[in-house]
Amino acid sequence: MKTVRFYLKRLALAAVMLMAASVAVAQNKLSGTVVDENGDPLPGAAVLVKGTTDGTVTGVDGAFTLNVPKGATITVSFIGYLDQDIVPGNRSVLAIALEPDNKLLDEVVVIGYGTVKRKDLTGSVAAVRGEDLEVKRTTALSSALQGALSGVMVTRDNSAPGSGAGSIRVRGVTTIGTSDPLIIVDGVQVSSLDYVNTADVESISVLKDAAAASIYGSKAAAGVILVTTKRGSTSDMSINYTGEFGMEIPTAEPDMVGLTRYLEMYNELLYNDNPTAGFFQQYTADQVKNWVKYNQTDPDHYPITDWRALMMNDYAPRQTHQVSVSGGNQSVRTKVSLSYDDVSALYDGRRFQRYMLRTNNDFTIIKDKLNATLDINVRRGKNRTTNYDPFADMRKTPAIYAATWHDGRIAEGKSGANPYGLLLTSGTNTSWSTQIGGKGSIEFKPIKDLSIQGIVSPFINYTKRKTFRLATYYTVMDDPEVFGGWLEGGGTVYSANNLSEQRNDNYNVTTQVLVNYHHKFAEKHDLSAMAGFENYVAKSENLSASREFYELTQYPYLNVGPEDYQFNSGDGSEYTSNSFFGRVMYDFAGKYLLQANVRHDGSSRFAKGYRWGTFPSVSAGWVVSEESFMHSTKSWLSFLKLRASWGMLGNERIGSNYYPYLALMTFNDALFYKGTDVSSEKTAAQRGLAVEDISWETTTSLDLGFDATFLANRLKVNFDWYSKKTSDMLLDIEIPYMMGYTKPKTNAGDMSTKGWDLELGWNDRIGDFTYSVSANLSDFVSIIDNVNGADIISGSTIQREGEFYNAYYGYLVDKENPIYQTQEQVDNSARLNNTVTVGDVHYQDISGPDGVPDGVISSEYDRVVLGNRLPRYQYGGNIRMGWKGFDASIVFQGIGKKLAYMSTYMVQPLRDNYGNIPAILDDNYWSAFNTDEQNRTARYPRLSKTSISNNYAFSDFWMFEGGYFRLKNVTLGYTLPEKLTSVVGIKKLRVYASASDLFSISQFPKGWDPEMGSTSYPITTSLLLGASIKF
Amino acid sequence: MKNTVYTLLAAAAILGSCVPMDIAPKSQGSSASWYTTETELKMAVNEFYILGYWNYLESSERWTDNNTYRNINYNTPILDGTVTGETWDCYHIWEQCYKLISRTNSLLDNISRAENAGMNQEKVDRFKAEACFARACKYGDLIFLFGDVPYIDHYQTIEEAEQNGRVDKATILQKVYDDFDFAAQHLPASYAGSEAVHFTKGAAYAMKARYALYMGDWQTAAAAAAECMKLGYTLENDYSTIFLQGTKMISEKIFVIPRSISASVVLDEWYVKNSLPRNAGGYAAYTPSWDLLAAYLCTDGLPIDESPLFDSQNPFANRDPRCTKTIVEFGTAHMGYIFDPSPNATKTTKLADLTQVSNQDSRAVNQYASFNGLLLKKGIDESWLENFPKNEKDYVLMRYADVLLMYAEAKIELGEIDASVLNAINTVRARAYGVKVGDTAYYPAVTGTDQATLRKAVRIERRMELAYEQLRYADLIRWRLAAKVLNLSNYINLDPAACKSEVVDKGYWFWGMTPSIDEDGVADFSALFAAGLCQKGAQRVFPDRQYLMPIPTHDIELSGGNLKNNEGY
Repeated sequence: MKTVRFYLKRLALAAVMLMAASVAVAQNKLSGTVVDENGDPLPGAAVLVKGTTDGTVTGVDGAFTLNVPKGATITVSFIGYLDQDIVPGNRSVLAIALEPDNKLLDEVVVIGYGTVKRKDLTGSVAAVRGEDLEVKRTTALSSALQGALSGVMVTRDNSAPGSGAGSIRVRGVTTIGTSDPLIIVDGVQVSSLDYVNTADVESISVLKDAAAASIYGSKAAAGVILVTTKRGSTSDMSINYTGEFGMEIPTAEPDMVGLTRYLEMYNELLYNDNPTAGFFQQYTADQVKNWVKYNQTDPDHYPITDWRALMMNDYAPRQTHQVSVSGGNQSVRTKVSLSYDDVSALYDGRRFQRYMLRTNNDFTIIKDKLNATLDINVRRGKNRTTNYDPFADMRKTPAIYAATWHDGRIAEGKSGANPYGLLLTSGTNTSWSTQIGGKGSIEFKPIKDLSIQGIVSPFINYTKRKTFRLATYYTVMDDPEVFGGWLEGGGTVYSANNLSEQRNDNYNVTTQVLVNYHHKFAEKHDLSAMAGFENYVAKSENLSASREFYELTQYPYLNVGPEDYQFNSGDGSEYTSNSFFGRVMYDFAGKYLLQANVRHDGSSRFAKGYRWGTFPSVSAGWVVSEESFMHSTKSWLSFLKLRASWGMLGNERIGSNYYPYLALMTFNDALFYKGTDVSSEKTAAQRGLAVEDISWETTTSLDLGFDATFLANRLKVNFDWYSKKTSDMLLDIEIPYMMGYTKPKTNAGDMSTKGWDLELGWNDRIGDFTYSVSANLSDFVSIIDNVNGADIISGSTIQREGEFYNAYYGYLVDKENPIYQTQEQVDNSARLNNTVTVGDVHYQDISGPDGVPDGVISSEYDRVVLGNRLPRYQYGGNIRMGWKGFDASIVFQGIGKKLAYMSTYMVQPLRDNYGNIPAILDDNYWSAFNTDEQNRTARYPRLSKTSISNNYAFSDFWMFEGGYFRLKNVTLGYTLPEKLTSVVGIKKLRVYASASDLFSISQFPKGWDPEMGSTSYPITTSLLLGASIKF
Repeated sequence: MKNTVYTLLAAAAILGSCVPMDIAPKSQGSSASWYTTETELKMAVNEFYILGYWNYLESSERWTDNNTYRNINYNTPILDGTVTGETWDCYHIWEQCYKLISRTNSLLDNISRAENAGMNQEKVDRFKAEACFARACKYGDLIFLFGDVPYIDHYQTIEEAEQNGRVDKATILQKVYDDFDFAAQHLPASYAGSEAVHFTKGAAYAMKARYALYMGDWQTAAAAAAECMKLGYTLENDYSTIFLQGTKMISEKIFVIPRSISASVVLDEWYVKNSLPRNAGGYAAYTPSWDLLAAYLCTDGLPIDESPLFDSQNPFANRDPRCTKTIVEFGTAHMGYIFDPSPNATKTTKLADLTQVSNQDSRAVNQYASFNGLLLKKGIDESWLENFPKNEKDYVLMRYADVLLMYAEAKIELGEIDASVLNAINTVRARAYGVKVGDTAYYPAVTGTDQATLRKAVRIERRMELAYEQLRYADLIRWRLAAKVLNLSNYINLDPAACKSEVVDKGYWFWGMTPSIDEDGVADFSALFAAGLCQKGAQRVFPDRQYLMPIPTHDIELSGGNLKNNEGY
């Protein structure tokens, strides 16, 4: 406290002195002109007295006048040009020529096993700087990527503490199997982007086309994401601390009908299904009429429970702290960062904590001869949750069931389904996840132009989980001493105390040897070549053990459990790949660029003869703007490059199946009597089919594009069109159930994806107001070309030749009367079954066993392709502004067009015969109690249980436009003037406020966020306050 | 530092040579060489005994008129009449049957490896016999439930499998018989106490009799049942103990798959929870129907609407003893409490300390107490609470009483009515009364030689004896009774307040009048309903097409037109 007061005093003193100084100093009048590299005047250039906000802007002729304190420095700046500092000294007239800033073009982009200047790129690479991701303030790096890059689709369905993105897709999908991109961090393959701290990211490159990605050969078909982390530089040591506090608030939660309507609608449903049994089958007229009244005096028999209010907090707090130290000299450069995140959930008992440490060290052992690096990163995450995930039941349980009896005891809920009681008392599930990654490399340059690099990178991944499920029960309403029953939820009865523990231990080692040669000859010829070898070895072992019927609940250890009920299991897997690869790049005079890559990969996943694959690519670039005939356009067209690439990529990832070519005997257990005892014996059976000649799938990709900058590099445009064709797709083919085997993986089918990516950027300065706008838009369509002749139908999804990948598949609703309005319509149409009647969804009879409509709606003949499941026109963008010490940024993201589907969670009343009724139904469903007019405009079918299989069958009845726009983030920051903070030794002090996922616009039903999952944790708005201090 | 760097460089160089990629699976075996040794064959045969291949009909009692689920139809499209080829209950049966068929085919295809390796023929035949038995059972279920189905008895490639059409069920039935005959010939009649109990000769005969009976082949059914009856099986003395969790191997159980809590193979937890009374922490939701309660004969051997012994205010009195051993009698102890579903019984006795506690099994106290006032008793005892909801009750596929009744039924249908037929029925009935078959003074023995009368008698006997043993559904289908009884309403008590004022307080409890029973033994409660003494629960719906289940959509779609569905789907 004392020190704080001391600093405050000094701060105040400094401020006073500063003001005094600015008044007292003598002024010189200064005038001059600012011109560009060709001597042409630069209108609108800023001329500022350095360290102040005093300044002016040049006129049309490039001239300015300014009063300058004696001995001050002036800074002249213009967008697209390098800033220039000038000490006028005694001069009063200055002629200033600014040098163009080619940073944008000289910007280095990380590509596979190397880097290249952006202007020399021939492949399609999208890149984003770490700071643009950090601004989103997400706990997981994967979520920060959403909307950041053209052609990169990031989806999620919840904002649970610590959760990352659900999936990442680069240029759509390339295969029916795994379309997850390969993730490379500092040159080494890792399994999750979220093992990297966003604050440690220097840049992320996404290799989108074959030319860029084929250096990763067999693993690159779905694109490659390259993460480069920050390293130390030869600068003074600095330390940076950032701390932020905030809260998470759900963006949306579905509402349910009020209590009385619930009772009425429940009765109406039963009446619809069985009219002869009368109207008040479930709740009597008295109950319907007086429940709310009776609740006042007898809340135990007439509960009204607001489950959401009871179980959820208004917000979830979170905090993050980060410290980083960096600096170095000629021989050692280092950067160390340590971060801690602590995110609570919207309900008690759940919390995510994470530590991340990264240290990147560079050593120069013999200058220009021998360099080395040694990086270590450690991540430790702890995720504690309640055993019981509340959201599904919280949304489902109607208000008529009691969470607690009037005296506060846990009540029965719905026959033991009491989500509140379970959330409170069913025990916890804690998982610890530890990753330790290391990377050591040495680079030896025996002669000029040649370097040899050896890299070893081990990665250890260890997870453990402890689930202590506690018995939890309710006592009967009128007697606290009488056991009522065990609570249950999610299909589990919490009737005994069970402890189960799981351990997964896996590690992998990547070893690389790289040889690089770079030579420039005859001025204009620039040749570089790279050759390398890589080996990847991964091993994994799982172990789990449990004991049941614990008497004690305070000791979550296996030893404490009874020996009679102990269980354990374990298994393991192993994988190896070997790869040889090479690249040649040639650049003639910065105008003509050529690149060729090849990779030869072998994988243990395939049988001997089918193991190796070769993946070549070529690409070329023509920097048109460098041509002499383009000189005349230089004034507005700063840079233009045309690119073309072709290449082949592979995919061998088929989940955890490491031996798809072997027919395996799976071991199991069966029980037998021995005398009157029961004993367990081992069984063996081939349960899956194996395809011996299974091998790579190959994606051939063609990309045409251009990069251009205009108006002194202020406007930037990148565009790519691409076409990808995947053949020998690895997929689970459907086989008849009658074969008795699980479906095998095999090379079957082809698909193609066509699309385009567009990136636009503008940055400029108006006086001391700087701003930039960037946006990206992309689109793709994936079509199945061939699936070995037979459709692959899985529920509501079909893969059919000529149709969209993963297309929606279901019934077509009658266009004229989507809901049956009259008995006549019912009688005159084909139906799924005889129970279907007025008020139910009305389908079209498409065909029959003989190829013509057969008068019956059947799943075999009347379902059709209903449309594309994947989104179209994804976009994202950001706007950044700076003015004096203030900075602001706005990030947005969205989907232009998408066929969305109303799940049963959104619209089905009384799920499982008791579930709550979504509020959107009320007044908008077909009902015998409506007028005909009301029924004609009703959006939803009648309330019925017997017609569930008809009304909620997958059909276009439930489809709607699911595109959305989302304001991803708004951040406002203020950096205190350095003059002020340097007094106390602070180089930089910035405070900021940030809001993420603030709002979205979509046609989703009220209460449903366009991204949220039906039963998952909600999407949340984050509100944060933070400060960052640099010494 | 330098050393580290050089070490790394050296390591990189060493590892730089190709790492071998021939990796053997860590926790699985290879099928290419399996079926050679006795151990391998034994493990392959053990696979046939996994419960999942056998218990797919375990919930089928709830598809019938023996069960009432609250005031709605139990969660299956079967009772709503809305079954399609995508209905889980249907394609799950299909999948499980064909899975086991493929396991048995795999063994039969490859056992020559063991023969070539010199295994003695007797052992080889034993293994083969087990495969044949399992395969025959699965095809038996398939042709009964689906009609004509593809017949696969060797490994097929995917292309071959997609070409399969439906084979006439009569042809398949013959193959089923052949498999059972081979099994019966080579399986032992019993196993020594130290041996694991596998399929037996008796099981092969009994299961053969079942499928023959299901397919209406009375001759074969009677003959196979008779063969089984020669093997010395006996009935357990006490009917009620057969089904208990604690009753392990007994002579009456011919074919059973055991369960074990310590091996994590347990009875479906929902079955446990939904069957137990609310006072004991259950849900009381899988309850015996009024139809079932009405079906039991009175102790004079007459149906309730004919017997003077029946009292609708005391429906459990003077009934066949199996009635109260299947359905909990009011006022008796059940699971530690006196069971009384009356809306007036807001308190009941907890037997552990003889205290009066609030009665969760009365709907006046708990709205989800049994909607029709009945609770299941058969097989349930207090041991169900010990590891609740885990329960290791055996899954019994065949017991001797069923064999006796199958024999009788087949002979009656053949018109070969003799003393052996009456003896078979009466042996079952006498045991229910706890007396010897000859003690006809102490139980209402079945007499007479009229085919129609005896047909009725054996059918009612099956219902009384085998309720809640997953056989009612098949019986309704093969007797063509489903379209009748599965289009009736479930009847339940009035809501508690109305039940109290209209029924209990007027002295009508439990039934205000005796329901009439028709020639099929089916009760009619419409008079009760008309009088306002009960209400309708769910309406069961059974369209005729459901006499056969639909072929799974999945397989039709892959068949390229080679598979057509059953009529009406």
